[in-house]
Amino acid sequence: MTRPFEISRRGLLSTAAGAAVLSVAGRAKAAGKTLNFADIGVGDPGGDWSGFTKASGWNVNLVAIGNAPSAILNVMIGGGGTSTYDIINIVGGMQPPLISNHLIEAIDPAEMPDWAKDTYISEYLTEGKPGFQFIGYQGRLYGVPSVLQGDAFAYLPEKTGPLDSYAALFDPKWRGYVALENNYTTAGQKTALYLKKAGLADIKDPANMSPAEIKAVVDFLIGRKKGGQFRVLWSSFEQAVDLIVRKEVYVIDCWEPMVFAAAAKGVHAVYADPKEGYLLWAMAAYLVNKRNGSAAEKKASYELLNFMLGGWYGAKITLLRGYMTNPLAPAYAASHPAEFTAAEAKKIAAITANVKHKFDQGGTWQNRWPTHIDAYESEWQRFEAA
Amino acid sequence: MRRARAAVRYGLLGLPGVFLVVFLVCPLLLTFAISFWQRTGFTFTPALTFNSYRAFFSGVRLLVFDRSLLISLEATAISLLLAYPVAYFLAFHAVPKAVRICLSLFTVPFLINYIIRTFAWTYLLDRSGPVNRLLQWLGLVHHPVSWLLYSDFAVFIGLVSAYMPFMVFPLWLSLSGIDQRLIEASWMLGARPARTFFGVILPLSLPGIFAATIFGFVGSFGESAVPTILGGVGFQLMGNTITSAMDVLDYPLAAAMSSVVVIAMLGLLTAWFLSFDLRALLGKIMEWRR
Amino acid sequence: MPRAGHGALSFGSGAVWILIGVLLFLLYLPLVPPVLFSIGLAVPGVHTITFRAYGELWGSPILVSATETTMEVAAIVGVAAPALGLLSALAVRELGIPRLMMLLVLLPLFIPGVSMGLASAFFFRELGIAPSLPSVALVQTIWALPFATLVMLTVMSTFDPVLLEAAYVTGANRLRGFLDIELPIIRPGVLGAVLFSLILSFNETIRTSLVQGPLNTVQTYIWSTYKQTGLSTAIYALMTLLILLTLVLMASILVIVTRRRAA
Repeated sequence: MTRPFEISRRGLLSTAAGAAVLSVAGRAKAAGKTLNFADIGVGDPGGDWSGFTKASGWNVNLVAIGNAPSAILNVMIGGGGTSTYDIINIVGGMQPPLISNHLIEAIDPAEMPDWAKDTYISEYLTEGKPGFQFIGYQGRLYGVPSVLQGDAFAYLPEKTGPLDSYAALFDPKWRGYVALENNYTTAGQKTALYLKKAGLADIKDPANMSPAEIKAVVDFLIGRKKGGQFRVLWSSFEQAVDLIVRKEVYVIDCWEPMVFAAAAKGVHAVYADPKEGYLLWAMAAYLVNKRNGSAAEKKASYELLNFMLGGWYGAKITLLRGYMTNPLAPAYAASHPAEFTAAEAKKIAAITANVKHKFDQGGTWQNRWPTHIDAYESEWQRFEAA
Repeated sequence: MRRARAAVRYGLLGLPGVFLVVFLVCPLLLTFAISFWQRTGFTFTPALTFNSYRAFFSGVRLLVFDRSLLISLEATAISLLLAYPVAYFLAFHAVPKAVRICLSLFTVPFLINYIIRTFAWTYLLDRSGPVNRLLQWLGLVHHPVSWLLYSDFAVFIGLVSAYMPFMVFPLWLSLSGIDQRLIEASWMLGARPARTFFGVILPLSLPGIFAATIFGFVGSFGESAVPTILGGVGFQLMGNTITSAMDVLDYPLAAAMSSVVVIAMLGLLTAWFLSFDLRALLGKIMEWRR
Repeated sequence: MPRAGHGALSFGSGAVWILIGVLLFLLYLPLVPPVLFSIGLAVPGVHTITFRAYGELWGSPILVSATETTMEVAAIVGVAAPALGLLSALAVRELGIPRLMMLLVLLPLFIPGVSMGLASAFFFRELGIAPSLPSVALVQTIWALPFATLVMLTVMSTFDPVLLEAAYVTGANRLRGFLDIELPIIRPGVLGAVLFSLILSFNETIRTSLVQGPLNTVQTYIWSTYKQTGLSTAIYALMTLLILLTLVLMASILVIVTRRRAA
């Protein structure tokens, strides 16, 4: 019998002992006063929470989670999220399932001094505005807006020339060179916006469609899919950037920071300013309804939420991720040259101005939990299987 | 003293069973129970309804199930055809040092995160990738070919490269354990190599084939990253459609689909157990009854 | 050089060496892009190499702590799963209910990862097991167990029980017989099981993400950034280091073993 792997019993035992020691040593890592901050990656200021720690005495432990509803709900309902996390920072609008399962708490803006300074809240997100569904539910506030953005699509001008309508995504001219996001509340809703504006389908509100309306949207998409219009349905940031950088597709339904990422890799893509408008959305930091949470943790959580409404955090996130954050950010970056270079401050101001323009243009507010979400999901399954 | 020893013995031997019953069978029964529950809005309440099963068997998700079965069977067959000759060669025709190096080389790539590994294929196979450039340089095609990526072909590449190496190892283990005297006896009795192979070696390597098939088939069936990264427009396997049901909090449907998968797999396994003697599977260890 | 030159069906060495070469080439091919990206060659038209990512790697606290967690979990799983696997394999043989034991042990393979993760998560919550290192290790051990057991069974199936009978005749008890006769022979299986368990632990994402609680593993961190913000070059650097480290480790083990044999 061939025996290429020779190990002694003693070797095996010492490995086992070593592993045990290692894991015990690992457990001894200082816990201290730490807030657990579950985040989809966008809210990570490069691991630097020193400003908050210095002011509050609390450390922040960032846990990277997925943004898909299943990822969030599974972790919160089953995975002990409510016994671990203090704050979850995800794309907003998830209140209906989160609240009905008692996973998050209402917030009190009075606990956060910087809340009142955030004019984006009063302009776009307060009660009565269509963006309210990203932070509020049934008249109460649940989320602190951490990021705001409007989505459209991107294209490679060298291949397509200037484009200004979602019609490009479905234009047979680009057959086989188009990619959509695999997501009914983004790609599905953008398609609905296009069909409505182009008069191709009778859709009352692209943000909250009836089962018949979403079926019409999916029928349209299936027709295009069968015609070979789409190269792929992407489902990750990395994939979408790659599709642009490798020029695998010319027109792509995507997020604007992907265009920035492509630019950093030397590929010039343009994020369109479509005549139909944008898909507007916001990220929300929710206060977790923590089992056995202490009053001190709650106080610190509010301090962290307030920190996120502040200029440094906002500027840092805008710089790193390419999203608009809060009104204090551009001014803070411009007035703190020790922390942000002039070029960085300029970039932050430019991103902010660009996103503000989108909100002025309008469009449709993304709805992560439409009334007939089950119909959305099962119709989208039909699209994928077609 | 004797009794104490027996207690220790059965305690130790029973440990994995108890461990699995507590941490696996219990959660699984819970899942099975939930598949009959009633879903009302955002929550679900205990009930005995077949709604979830009806939704599964009457909708497009059944197509996904069929496709998953077919794709995993095909991927497993391809992998087996590739892995068996390798394992055979290593077991009978290679010096121990070469075996050691080969098997080690087969394992190293797996320490790299599988998402990064799978994703790397897109760089290699896309329309401007090295494979397409090579094909054009060779003059085999004049325009980049699209079907290399975002296609069934790419899914097979992803599945085979992800699970085939897992299959080499058990195959090699079982082949290298075959008693040389049996092979030589067959030769001395005048059997031709092909006859020795099908009459002696192949049956004796069944335990390895069994383990390899399970690794390959089950691995592919449960895969969710390969189809989303490499598959065509909307390519889904079971894992993807289950996740999609969870996206809208339809836990009963997700549970029903999981239960169907588990039952189907157990069915396949039982069929295998019944059609093959377990002794062939477990080899000499089963012949030995104290 | 061929050990079983006569009798065994010969595929023709040359052809199989070529097949092995091609397969290894295909397996290593996807490792090339990450290495190139880690030294800044991701950008089309850029040909200057930079090792900046390797510096950034240590400045990323989340990546460093995720690496620690991954190592800890792998160490536990790499010991627990093979140990339980050995016991399971013995139980299949000794307890007189081989079919049932086989079904039980293989069960973890048949449950889709996301369902298994969610079911365990719910179950742990009922038991009051907080999501943390033990829960991650537990979930991964269950996942690796069938692999470890099957590898072990494959080796044990070739073991000739006559050897044990001989040991008993000469007065050895069951334990001695197992430790002195059988274990040395099935050692490749034990090592194989350890290797499989480590590899599975290094790649598990779906189940882990549901029970990780306040921790990140390298896998869950990569999955999250891959989905939402893009992979940093530091991650590619980490993967490259991992490849190099493993290859160096394997090469040195081979050298040591060969030297010892020669001596």
